[in-house]
Amino acid sequence: MSSQPILELRGISKYFGNVTALEAISTIVEAGKVTCVLGDNGAGKSTLIKILSGVHQPSAGEFMMDGQPMNFISPREARLAGIATVFQDLAMAPLMSVWRNFFLGSEPTKGIGPIKWFDSSFAKRTAKEEMAKMGIDVRDVDQPVGTLSGGERQSVAIARAVYFGARVLILDEPTSALGVKQAGVVLKYTRMAAERGLGVIFITHNPNHAFPVGDRFLLLNRGRSLGDFAKDQISRVELSRLMAGGAELEAIEHELGIG
Amino acid sequence: MGEFVSETVVESAPVAKADERIAHRGPLQRWLVSPEIGALIGAVIVWAFFWGNARTFGEADSTLNWLDVAAPLGIMAVAIALLMIGGEFDLSSGVMTGATAILIGLMATYFGGDGIHIGWAIGAAFLAAGAVGWFNGFMVNRTGLPSFIVTLATFFVLRGVMLVMSKRLADKVQVAEILDQEGAQTLKGWIAHEWMFTEFKGRDFLFVALVLIGGAAFAYGLLEQSFVRRQGLSLVDMALSVIGLAAAAIGFTVLNRTDGVGTNVLWGVVMGVGTLVLALGLSRGRWKSRSERLSGTLERGVVLRVGVGVVGITLACLTPIPLDRGLGVPVLTWVSSGFRPIIAAAAALVGIFLAVRAAIPAIRSRSLRSELPRLLFFAPYCGLTLMVSVLSFFQLSTVQGLRAMAMLALAGGGVVLLMSARGLAGRSNTGWQLGIGLLATLAILVLAFVVRADAGAVRFRTGLFTAMCIGALVIAANTLLEFAMEKRRGPDAKADRLGKRLQFTGFALAAIGMVIRVVWSNLTPEHAERVKAAGGTVGQNVLRQPVVWWLLVAAIGAFVLTKTKWGNWIFAVGGNKEAARAIGVPVEKVKIGLFVVVSLCGCLAGTLIALRYGTVQANQGTGLEFEYIIAAVVGGCLMTGGYGSVIGACLGAAIMAMSTNGVQSTGWNSDGRFAFLGVVLLLAVLVNNYTRKKAQEAR
Repeated sequence: MSSQPILELRGISKYFGNVTALEAISTIVEAGKVTCVLGDNGAGKSTLIKILSGVHQPSAGEFMMDGQPMNFISPREARLAGIATVFQDLAMAPLMSVWRNFFLGSEPTKGIGPIKWFDSSFAKRTAKEEMAKMGIDVRDVDQPVGTLSGGERQSVAIARAVYFGARVLILDEPTSALGVKQAGVVLKYTRMAAERGLGVIFITHNPNHAFPVGDRFLLLNRGRSLGDFAKDQISRVELSRLMAGGAELEAIEHELGIG
Repeated sequence: MGEFVSETVVESAPVAKADERIAHRGPLQRWLVSPEIGALIGAVIVWAFFWGNARTFGEADSTLNWLDVAAPLGIMAVAIALLMIGGEFDLSSGVMTGATAILIGLMATYFGGDGIHIGWAIGAAFLAAGAVGWFNGFMVNRTGLPSFIVTLATFFVLRGVMLVMSKRLADKVQVAEILDQEGAQTLKGWIAHEWMFTEFKGRDFLFVALVLIGGAAFAYGLLEQSFVRRQGLSLVDMALSVIGLAAAAIGFTVLNRTDGVGTNVLWGVVMGVGTLVLALGLSRGRWKSRSERLSGTLERGVVLRVGVGVVGITLACLTPIPLDRGLGVPVLTWVSSGFRPIIAAAAALVGIFLAVRAAIPAIRSRSLRSELPRLLFFAPYCGLTLMVSVLSFFQLSTVQGLRAMAMLALAGGGVVLLMSARGLAGRSNTGWQLGIGLLATLAILVLAFVVRADAGAVRFRTGLFTAMCIGALVIAANTLLEFAMEKRRGPDAKADRLGKRLQFTGFALAAIGMVIRVVWSNLTPEHAERVKAAGGTVGQNVLRQPVVWWLLVAAIGAFVLTKTKWGNWIFAVGGNKEAARAIGVPVEKVKIGLFVVVSLCGCLAGTLIALRYGTVQANQGTGLEFEYIIAAVVGGCLMTGGYGSVIGACLGAAIMAMSTNGVQSTGWNSDGRFAFLGVVLLLAVLVNNYTRKKAQEAR
């Protein structure tokens, strides 16, 4: 380990009444690295995101940023601390232009005295530059976000999070609704965000998407951890096997008489 | 003199562009896909229609008249547009105007024995309206119910309270004598002042200033481009420029000294043509001789288009023969009155079907539950509009109307087909392009003469005739230019773009000046004498302050929506509420703020009504909420929120006011206004739909 991780989870648990959503989850997120969280539906991925982004508070365990224990009571606090979450489909208003979406909620203003207006030339220029840094040439930042492809839309959200000083970027299933080519685009931008020094948490249920970008893999199943592996500790095949339900699936195959 | 710089300098490779597939989108293209374009086209058509068909429409007093009708509507349309962009409706907005007017009247007349000072009454009404708006927003946020349910409740409550209060305090369902109260006249002088004048003196100043500034910017922009693209002007260029400038100046001078609709048009044309020649002289440098003529095989469909287009135009020219002139003779009398409701019902069904069909993609992409209220609101509305339109069509339809419609459809379709054929041919065969272009020119000229011989209303005839002649001229010039020349490329893209922008700005300014001048034909004293002698009435021109309030509200609304962070939030709240919330936009506050703004604007309109008439009926404003919504929708606001424009809403309000005023001044059955409105609404929405789709196409 070269340095202290940005984010460290120690035995995070979350109970809703008598339902155990998460049980003793631990992993780390390092600057410049991608930590993948893999799991099937109901594995607890969303609960984990919600805890990290401040929507829920953990019932037990703690998570530390730069070695300091944190306790977010609202999404706003998490965002101020530098944790940005890019949700799969809730990120943008489709009929608004790229630059309006890019600066939504943090509009740069200039003005005289109490009369402040939206500094649109700065916003347009910056949006174009920031997208260019991600390797995307936005032909026209005035075009509505709805005209962008799914992958481009995700990358606008990623570029926006990076620009506003995020240190940890949580990507919630960014590839699940995309075609093969578009998913590849998003994976590239994910890698790019990490190379710019962010710690990235990449949530997915597809081991084939996770393996090429990930440096660390946390596998969840029904709220419990199936293991937390560095990239050199696990192979793609093993990852797929664990994801697919591993032993459980083998048992089913046996029952069906296929195996 | 002559060309003093060699061509080769410019022919060197232009500065490398990032992506050569992406054409630069000029200000014109940008503007063409903006939300207000439908309303703008509609406003121009409506204005031209009534200008041509009603004798007094377009005179200063008539213009001031419809502006006065438009003002309260426009104030509310601005507020409702903001609210609709924020994704909500307010059905209590119409009654709010009446309720606040009544409240002011009651407080000023009856409270505390003989009423409180009207200034306090107005202040209290604003506070009350703000509170009601806050309550609307709070309830919508808290309950999550569709806003039109919540505000419908507010609508009934307000209506009930106002009726009860006016009956108990005033013993009748109206409050009168507001203007007799202490201080009312003073306040009226401040808030609802009426400026009387016989002539709009500032008009000529505005006209001169705008045309001079605009013309200078336009000419400078052209020069800039010419220099960038060739760096020099030839002798011919200069001669053309001087001749054009002289013609423009003469037209301009005469136009500035005479008055009356006919001369305005005539000298307007001289000036316009002069400007065209000037532009040609200045811009010749941007073109060079065509290096090669194309003579390939024609693309498919060219010949077919030409054939169908020519047949259509021929039929249009022949239409007046079978449909004999019979001004005002009703047709369709053969449709028995018992049968009409069935046709109307069928039209209503078609309207509902169209509305439902339009809503299907929205329902598919979002959840049915969130779309259902809007659908329930929109479908009956569409049905009703179409039904009223059809019924009114029976009332209005005359031989004259039928013929006009047939000619418009046939001729318009024919010309569109010819122009599309010309564009197609231009890709592969320049000879055919030239031929079809000249054919189109000829066709439009013939049509212009047919219209001149046929149309009933004189102003309409001259107006359309000149417009068609100018159109034919432009098409001919363009065709010849494209045949002989091709555009140069500028070595300096930035200077090139600057030139283009200057031209556009200059043109727009000069056009605004022209419109002000032509629209606003003052009634000269001599003309007034003639009108009086002929038994007509000469109206005193009155500019009422509500119009000023409207412009102020519109300016603030447009600024806030497009230039501030709150505007950004309004778009986001209407476009994707969850995204806005997730990213830290105070969604609840924005919504409450919007409802409060609507209510405050309602109170402003109510105050103006109370001070204008001094008498308010208890049902004042009921039903107007739909007119506000229609104005906003015509202006390009999306029923589902997240898209729209304040300027568009103002234009929508202007269209509605012009229709009311125009139908009255044509002397038709004033119910015909609804038919007109229905058609305009449908057309505007269609154009808006089309441009929005264009705007959303990937670039």
